[in-house]
Amino acid sequence: MEGIKGAIKDALDFSDFPKSERIGIIIFYIYLLIFPWVVSSSFARAVMIQFLLFALYGMGWNTIGGYGGQVALGKAQYVGISAYTVAMMMILFNIPFWVSMPIGVFLAVLWSFMIGYPLFRLKGHYFAIATIAVSLVLQDIFRNWEFVGGERGLSLPFKGTPNFLYMQFKSDVYYYYFMLIFFTLGLFYMNWFRKSRLGYQLRAVKANEDVAASLGINVRWAKIKAYAIASAFVAVGGAFYAVYHMYIDTSSVMHLELSILIALMAMLGGAASLWGPIIGAAILVPLDRYLGSWIGGAKGLLGLDLIIYSIIIMLVAALEPRGIWGIVEKVRAKRG
Amino acid sequence: MLKLEKVEIAYGIVPVVQGISFHVEDGELISIVGANGAGKTTIMKAIAGRLHLRKGSINFRGKDITKLSSPDIVRMGITYVPENRRLFTPLSVEENLEIGAYIINDKKEIEKNLEFVYGLFPRLKERRKQRAGTLSGGEQQMLAIGRGLMANPKLLMLDEPSQGLMPILVTELLNAVKKLKELGMTILLVEQNVQEALEIADRGYVLQTGQIITEGNGKELLDSDIVKKAFLGM
Repeated sequence: MEGIKGAIKDALDFSDFPKSERIGIIIFYIYLLIFPWVVSSSFARAVMIQFLLFALYGMGWNTIGGYGGQVALGKAQYVGISAYTVAMMMILFNIPFWVSMPIGVFLAVLWSFMIGYPLFRLKGHYFAIATIAVSLVLQDIFRNWEFVGGERGLSLPFKGTPNFLYMQFKSDVYYYYFMLIFFTLGLFYMNWFRKSRLGYQLRAVKANEDVAASLGINVRWAKIKAYAIASAFVAVGGAFYAVYHMYIDTSSVMHLELSILIALMAMLGGAASLWGPIIGAAILVPLDRYLGSWIGGAKGLLGLDLIIYSIIIMLVAALEPRGIWGIVEKVRAKRG
Repeated sequence: MLKLEKVEIAYGIVPVVQGISFHVEDGELISIVGANGAGKTTIMKAIAGRLHLRKGSINFRGKDITKLSSPDIVRMGITYVPENRRLFTPLSVEENLEIGAYIINDKKEIEKNLEFVYGLFPRLKERRKQRAGTLSGGEQQMLAIGRGLMANPKLLMLDEPSQGLMPILVTELLNAVKKLKELGMTILLVEQNVQEALEIADRGYVLQTGQIITEGNGKELLDSDIVKKAFLGM
């Protein structure tokens, strides 16, 4: 009981940020709360939903990639596993979202243990490459697996009437608020996580694995746990994606580009910081969507988005490895 | 307390440590000296569970720890202070020390260990709120040793604590190590600084290309021809 109370207190406690920043965060959150009433354009709402979704993905990545310093580039496979679980369970057995989502998350976490256990024998770049390889293989399997729709993907059946159990609504306002709830819970969780025992373990591991181990930290187990948490986060997002779009295929939920985008959000905003993934998503998602609507199909054809992503990666790596939040912290330190 | 028997370690196919045996008794200060690449650090890493042995066994207080993982070995009471200090530089002095007490859950005991470390290195107490990265080389090394002590070790392994320090600091630091020994700590010290390391040691081992070429008590070794010739240039 004590432990849970303490955890909730930690999750709700933002007092280590300066007052001006806290006010900024509150204003931003109020804006998120009233957004659907302020803006009625369905395009803008879709962008906002995607922003919240990617912020959630990024927060998850931040556990292993940010605090733990292990660049995992296969997060899309966990999005995919849970999205496919939700879709298949609804198509085959008519199982509601609120039942299939936990199962999808569970399967994703299970898979993350199976992958994490062998993969964390590898370090640095080799680990990153291995995560890519595994997720590519899984995508190919799903693409060729007729049972889960293969190349055609899966369409979720319409229920006809709006239905909370299956998360089918007439207006995207509902999706927006459900996503906002997931986002908020994720944010509180991360606020607790960064002060948790595992959070500190990971930072020690990131700083120096040998020292962490010689202090008594089980390095590999800490990484595996963080990897599982990251997978759970993106799996929640993936389950939501399935019911929100009502159509999934491997290129929308399992593609390598998604994995890279997830990592990029956190890196651009600031890895190993609470607000980093949110800032990153706030920049990249609108950029991606408006770019898409501006040049249309040419985007994919030209690979313009990929060019922009790679420029961002290079700029972040060269100028401020701690991302935008790193700049904020520098300014904060200069002011005193 | 600690006993290594016919230990062989290899990186890939390259043998680094070729069948060495030695022992450390309760309350002893043992120095292992040798040139670069002799295998000193490798042995320490193997004891700490960071490397696997190809052959041989490591025994600690009557238990075989050859196959144990690093965290378990730390819990059994062996703390390894790696070379080059490896502090958590953005954290404060006190935070670095607190991390050292990672395996201890009792707040009172952590407090007690903290006082012990501050008593041994008063300089650290003066700078407790300072970031570890802003300390001088000597202070950083004190902090690294202090961090190791926070886990209540029964055996403290120090890997080249004098590396990169100016001579006067080396003497000061090794005096602190000696004091620790007098307080009852068992210490395994690895050093390139042959003269001073052997002066403070109860016994010493001389390592060359992965083999122990001679051993004896500190003074004896310093007077021996093999050490004089190989390390002291006499």
